[in-house]
Amino acid sequence: MARFHDLTVTDVRKTIRDAVVVTLRPENGAAKAFDFIQGQYLTFRRDFDGEELRRSYSICAGRDDGVLQVGIKRVDGGAFSTWANDELKPGDRLQAMPPMGGFFVELAPERARHYLGFAGGSGITPVLSILKTTLAREPKSSFSLVYANKGVSSIMFREELEDLKNLYLGRLTVIHVLETDAQEIDLFTGLVTAEKCAQLFATGWIDIDNVDTAFICGPEPMMLGIAGALREAGLDDGQIKFELFASAQPGRAKRNAAPKHTASTANQTVFAITLDGATQTITVSKDTSLLDAALENAIDAPFACRAGVCSTCRCRVLEGEVEMKTNHALEDYEVEKGYVLACQSHAITDTVRVDFDQ
Amino acid sequence: MAEDMTIRDYLARGGKLTSPANVPPRYRAELMKLMAIFVDSELAGAAGFADMINQGPGIKERIAAAKIVMEKTDNAGKVLRIMGDFGADTARYANHHPWAARLDRAADIGTSRGEHDMRLALFNYPLEGWGDAVVMNLLMGHAVTIQLEEFGKVSYQPLAEAFRAILPVERRHAELAQEGLARLLEPASDGRLQASVDYWWPRVAASFGAADSARFESLREMGLRHQSNAELRTRWEAEAADILKGFGLRGL
Repeated sequence: MARFHDLTVTDVRKTIRDAVVVTLRPENGAAKAFDFIQGQYLTFRRDFDGEELRRSYSICAGRDDGVLQVGIKRVDGGAFSTWANDELKPGDRLQAMPPMGGFFVELAPERARHYLGFAGGSGITPVLSILKTTLAREPKSSFSLVYANKGVSSIMFREELEDLKNLYLGRLTVIHVLETDAQEIDLFTGLVTAEKCAQLFATGWIDIDNVDTAFICGPEPMMLGIAGALREAGLDDGQIKFELFASAQPGRAKRNAAPKHTASTANQTVFAITLDGATQTITVSKDTSLLDAALENAIDAPFACRAGVCSTCRCRVLEGEVEMKTNHALEDYEVEKGYVLACQSHAITDTVRVDFDQ
Repeated sequence: MAEDMTIRDYLARGGKLTSPANVPPRYRAELMKLMAIFVDSELAGAAGFADMINQGPGIKERIAAAKIVMEKTDNAGKVLRIMGDFGADTARYANHHPWAARLDRAADIGTSRGEHDMRLALFNYPLEGWGDAVVMNLLMGHAVTIQLEEFGKVSYQPLAEAFRAILPVERRHAELAQEGLARLLEPASDGRLQASVDYWWPRVAASFGAADSARFESLREMGLRHQSNAELRTRWEAEAADILKGFGLRGL
């Protein structure tokens, strides 16, 4: 299991009004663990009012930049991103797991390939890392970027992209598509949809026939539209790399309801199980694991190893108390939120309510 | 930009998920199950086949068998690593079960799984000698190829990529089995190979799973399944029967 390391913030720079670029220095000899591959992300953890939040942010630096940097855009109501934008300053300590993710292709200096990147808003962060690294390490390759934003003022890394275009003359093309600000070319106004992509391909702005790999990072509808257009244009699944940006991450986790302490000596428990939106209530012996109780009553609860190591049977206790015999898979913060491994847990209280849907 | 699409809609329309952070709970559970079935089957398959290495009739056969054992173990490792991203204790997992353990040859367990792991039911049956192992590998190898083509389309991109990398390796294992069978047939067959086919055929067919439409539908909505069990099994039956025919053997 990956573990968290300390990192010191060495710089916090605003790129646009509501996004910062944070430069980090791994501490305690962890530099090697943070030797990233372009397009990877870091997962941070921080305590907010006694509850641990974890958030992933993509690295925006290239591999040859000599720094570790992530871009953090403020999300409405997002505890971590708001804190990073308002309060984070040089000298602060953060904790993060080593870089993860497979949003990249292996580079080969002798190869001449053409890459196509699509980024929506802060989805630019991993794509920027990829294009910087690729242009530096694969000198015969070229990169076209289609970059979608609301308006000019919300374009992250606008100047940096201009500088890169000048540095890699002829090898980097950037097409800005703006939702609200009118541009000279009509095609570059509006949303990046399947139709818009098809037009970019048909009009020759993008030479789709010679694309080796396409990278897409943005919100869900944009990813679907672009992927559809790329498949239509003949790319196969192996040529399309996705990074779904974290719109699915909830802003602030709800507090768990306080458990009712109704311990008793009777050996039966009333056990309510929610799975796939349906709740069933069964009466079982307290000696039976939650998983076995469910399975014996024809409830198709998920499981795999039955040994507390894989975490397939993870569920959340909403009411009552259970005892978990072994746990090699859940981390402390999950246990604090009430998650247990059903295969290792027995009811202690007379009523227990668990949910597999959370 | 319409950013309010739910993950459910996104998946139902063919979207891909890319990290544990954007995976909903029920999806997570089904994905873990799918990975556990693959990892357990590969580990059990490799462990069972390891005992066959020394029974190979020649150097070439023993090398092929050893290569299959090594590569199946490696394939298990590739997927187990992804389970690790979700919190599974990978070191413990690899050792939590005696993967070489088998039931009786005559045990009839249908599609049910053992108490302690998620291997496909047929990996609970013992191999009986080299010829039997080759036949099993031929039939199951071909089934795995078809199953991996299906699972190479799953909506969890890191797993889809792992399966796409594993597919050519497993396809090669099926080819090795075919080459092995060709060498076995040179001396006239005495009916033992057909007996092995008769034994393994229904068990491999069962590995495609039941035609449970409600469950399939929910997996399909999550982008974890595309073609039905029945479709995949029918394709396997036709293709495997065809291969056997070339050797003068017949499927059921």
